[in-house]
Amino acid sequence: MKPVRILGIGSPSGDDQAGWLVIDALHALGCANGKGVVAGKLDRPGAGLVALLEDAEHAILVDAMQSGAPPGTLHCVNPADGPLPVAELSSHGFGVLAALALAQALGSLPRRVEVYGIEIASAQPGDAVSAPVRSAIHALAGRIAVTACA
Amino acid sequence: MTEKRSVAIHVPVLARVEGEGALDLRIEDGDIRELRLRIFEPPRFFEKFLEGRHCTEIPDLVARICGICPVAYQVTAASALEKLYGVELSPWARAMRRVFYCGEWIQSHSLHIHLLAAPDFFGCNNAIELARIAPGEVRRGLRLQALGNELMDFFGARSVHPVGVRIGGFHGAPAPARVAALRDKLEAALPEAEALVRWAAAIPLPADDQDFISVATRHPAVYAIEHGDIAASDGRVITPEEFDAHFAERHEPHSTALFSSYHGQPYLVGPLARLNLSADRLPDDVRALIAEIGFALPGRNVFHSLVARAVEILLALREAHRLLADYRVPDSPWVPVTPRAGVAVACTEAPRGLLWHRYEMDGDGRVLNARIVPPTSQNQARIEADLRLSLLNFGLDRPDDALRLHCEKVIRNYDPCISCATHFLRLKVERA
Repeated sequence: MKPVRILGIGSPSGDDQAGWLVIDALHALGCANGKGVVAGKLDRPGAGLVALLEDAEHAILVDAMQSGAPPGTLHCVNPADGPLPVAELSSHGFGVLAALALAQALGSLPRRVEVYGIEIASAQPGDAVSAPVRSAIHALAGRIAVTACA
Repeated sequence: MTEKRSVAIHVPVLARVEGEGALDLRIEDGDIRELRLRIFEPPRFFEKFLEGRHCTEIPDLVARICGICPVAYQVTAASALEKLYGVELSPWARAMRRVFYCGEWIQSHSLHIHLLAAPDFFGCNNAIELARIAPGEVRRGLRLQALGNELMDFFGARSVHPVGVRIGGFHGAPAPARVAALRDKLEAALPEAEALVRWAAAIPLPADDQDFISVATRHPAVYAIEHGDIAASDGRVITPEEFDAHFAERHEPHSTALFSSYHGQPYLVGPLARLNLSADRLPDDVRALIAEIGFALPGRNVFHSLVARAVEILLALREAHRLLADYRVPDSPWVPVTPRAGVAVACTEAPRGLLWHRYEMDGDGRVLNARIVPPTSQNQARIEADLRLSLLNFGLDRPDDALRLHCEKVIRNYDPCISCATHFLRLKVERA
């Protein structure tokens, strides 16, 4: 059975932990591994993300984002909705959307992909996650658990 | 008579390079009046940060200079201090340092070929467009890159800013359980790398012929990666300690990276320079492959750096596969070191070329001052010289967009790591 792959992307710095903490929350909900679900944490996957998606039927990616919306706002991008907004590429800037666009061009994007962005406030090393982001993490984990582990 | 155009081209931000830079080009009366590679990424002051730090912290601090080539910084720093402290690495640590470094070459070169440079030669704007017309080759490149990352992760716990190296060896020896699977992957990748070399050699790279000095480390027995003296194509062999007698760094107002010169001349470092100086150190079958694909060495067309990178991926895979054959966990992955006062100097071959470190240390093992000369700053003057010659060969009367793209190709071909050097491209062309 092709797995559902849930990948949390982040770093240990402040609100940028959001992607990782969603994975922790899914573990706590019993929806991280088993029953066809494989969940993992990544820091800067770059183009390596392509290989991680290759044998999945359904991929769910969670990353922090900053668009100017209030911290804790949840964004969702579905690559099936249209071309991915990819900025100019460099290896420093090879982000999640660029990796998804590359997977799309290679024809190896899972049939179903959801990309969640949690709006964050700051990503200072050593800081804890802010309260609105923490709430969003738990809300998103609950939502993913319903769709992926039900 | 055709009127000579006067043009100004500014490339404000160069894509597909590491870091931030720009190019200003002013053409007047059909002649290049100004050509400046402007590196404006802010200085990063790493050498200053190192002052007062203990030698045990240096490998992890310098790894942070670059996310693509952290191993080069770690191994160079460790080698310099081990030399000062009179430490002889165990054969295990020596061999595994080379394997670790091979992982970085495989990863960095695969990334550059497939995601940064190759799109230029297929009329593509980026790797995503290239993936649509050459999916098999891009997939192969991603597999090779991932294998390089895996080797780095094997020794350093992660591929970006790994933490494995310590002065005297490694913090730990990876368990043998993972080695068999890793060697199988390396073995399976060898034909892939050979196919990559053939593919790279068949890419219609621009024709060019330039006279330049190549500089790279050279080792008496093996293809130099993690140790060796410095060789130049004029025949000089220079010990790392003699660097300052032959190389000079200077500030230019338009760049936050220092410019380097060799006896007053620009020079080339990197994969083509290494092949130009050390092709005789390659294994016989790799040399046979180079001959078969018609890759004439020493090379005078810097665009052939792409082929040189492919050859070095093959070499690095072979070396890693060979050196992991008898892998066993040593009694200790490191030997103890006792700090002493003095000057520590070493150089190695980062994926982009010669990397030279110098540390003045006190008796407690703390840094009094540090100097790090990365490959990109050494190539900076050569890139400007190359641009000048390439543009004249290409034709200054070409449309601005064609000039801009050609300049970008020339610069990207050097795989410049501006973040390392600042310590990339906005093209601004002015025709008056």
